[in-house]
Amino acid sequence: MSFLLRRLAFYLAAFIAAATINFFLPRVMPGDPIQMMFASAGSELSLENLNALKLTFGFIEAPLWQQYLTYLQSVFTGDLGVSIKYFPLPVTELLARALVWTVGLMGLATILSFTCGTLLGALAAWRRGTRLDTIISMSAIFSSSVPAVVISLVMLFIFGYQLGWFPSGYAADPMLDPAFSAQYIGSVIRHGTLPMLTLFIVLVGGFAVTMRNNMINLLGEDYIVMGRAKGLGEGRVMLWYAARNALLPTFSALAIAIGTVLGGSLVTEVVFNYPGLGNVLYQAILARDYPVIQGQLLIMTGAMLVSNFIVDLSYVLLDPRLRKA
Amino acid sequence: MQQLVSGLLRNRKAVIGAVILLLIIVAAFAAPLLSQYSPTARVGRPHQPPSLEHWLGTTRVGRDVFTQLIYGARTSLAVGFGAGLMITLIGTMLGIIAGYKGGVIDEVINFFTNMVLVVPNLPLLLVLAAFIGQASPLVIAVILGLTSWAWGVRVTRAETLSIRQKDFIKSAEMLGEPSWRIMAFEIFPNLISIVGINFIGSVIFAVITEATLEFLGLGDPNTVSWGIMLYNAQNASALSVGAWWDLLSPCIALALLGLSLALINFAIDEIANPRLRTGGRLGRWAALVQAGEGRL
Repeated sequence: MSFLLRRLAFYLAAFIAAATINFFLPRVMPGDPIQMMFASAGSELSLENLNALKLTFGFIEAPLWQQYLTYLQSVFTGDLGVSIKYFPLPVTELLARALVWTVGLMGLATILSFTCGTLLGALAAWRRGTRLDTIISMSAIFSSSVPAVVISLVMLFIFGYQLGWFPSGYAADPMLDPAFSAQYIGSVIRHGTLPMLTLFIVLVGGFAVTMRNNMINLLGEDYIVMGRAKGLGEGRVMLWYAARNALLPTFSALAIAIGTVLGGSLVTEVVFNYPGLGNVLYQAILARDYPVIQGQLLIMTGAMLVSNFIVDLSYVLLDPRLRKA
Repeated sequence: MQQLVSGLLRNRKAVIGAVILLLIIVAAFAAPLLSQYSPTARVGRPHQPPSLEHWLGTTRVGRDVFTQLIYGARTSLAVGFGAGLMITLIGTMLGIIAGYKGGVIDEVINFFTNMVLVVPNLPLLLVLAAFIGQASPLVIAVILGLTSWAWGVRVTRAETLSIRQKDFIKSAEMLGEPSWRIMAFEIFPNLISIVGINFIGSVIFAVITEATLEFLGLGDPNTVSWGIMLYNAQNASALSVGAWWDLLSPCIALALLGLSLALINFAIDEIANPRLRTGGRLGRWAALVQAGEGRL
């Protein structure tokens, strides 16, 4: 229990750190921070609205520490200001709409690539030195050293433009109204397949390499020899003796990989014009919509911390040693 | 060190990786000899397909793609190796200090390291770059160097912790060697392969991230680099108008550079870990790649 409490305290500190970066960045940049953050709003903002925005971001007539506390208060009450480009839409609402698409895309891609990558890595380790191992390792190196931008663009070129198998943008046919109809859901699936396949390729290599190396390190252990000596089948020793134990460090790699997934999905969404968080962030960067950019950092940090915590929880379930502490 | 180099020469993966890398480096240095055009000059009609005159075609504003590619390699290599060096330097120093000194120093460094690790890297870089405005390659390299050292610290710290227990460290301490000397001359040489893997992993990360930031429109559009080429090609809707050469050329270049470095890293790992010939420390590098520090 104290393990989880300590983790929670740490995550809270990390979240405050991200908010602190948001707070100080406009203030340490040369020039007037208010001017910088809200300049692109132009005449659309009334004085009243501008003042509300200033209050949210802690631009008040007070000492710095009071400004800081004001900002933290807005963050923790869920007030991230309003988007300047899509005024007067609140940042939280804008991001929440996009989050649904990102979580769907990312969640599926992560689960699929984690499962496949781990199995492939285990297989490569089990058959290490064989041609199968070489093929899996080389593909894994390729997948984890080629930039997501490149993989996304090439996939879009081949399957979106050359072969024309999949649509090249949007989450669903824009002519259709969102509804629980077979037609709409089918359209969502058709539009989501290519970005998801791309993310899968981006992610699978990392998981495979991690699993392979963890498992190779375990194969010399006595209990593996024991399992074999008992005359258990190859598959059983591989999956239930070796892979099962090699999975634990892979799980912590998964926690760290969530940040990667976020980054990867960000780029992939931009390339495929998919309406998730990444695309919202991209539009915000183009319009220099600072409240949205800052909100995005907080949401993504939050997402990363939550998934880290879930991994911590599963760690406690997987590793009995942690339960006693 | 010598062993490492001769081992690398006998490793097929390392040789393939090194040859590709060397070709890119040579092309970057010899750019003015390889192309008669200037990378920023309008030298042809817009979006001409590859021909004898323009090996890789022209961009929408009529610049020569091949010329941009070889001049852009300079930027990618400079940012990659510059930022990679900085990331490795900070990571290695903090890691050795934390691991060797222990106590409060270790606690503090470790706390900050873990914190940097859980704040997602790319969104953080995007926020930084967005406030800076149009970031030049130099600025990108510096912010990469300052924000991405955490994984290096974690890896070197863990290794230092185990080396600290060895007898030769104890005897150096008995002899009264100052601690900076122990860290620099007793511990550091034993970390060479980890530092090498960290360095090359960081170079890959920096190259990829620079291209990504520029592709997303946070770079300075006047520089010549692979990321800006991607950005311009994407803005010119190169794919939908059928000008695939405009977009795929920098893609292939980035893929080759990433791949060549990854092959070298894989080989260093095989040599550092003869017991397995495969695996081991690569896991750390893979985790580095996964830590959002290698793959975006």
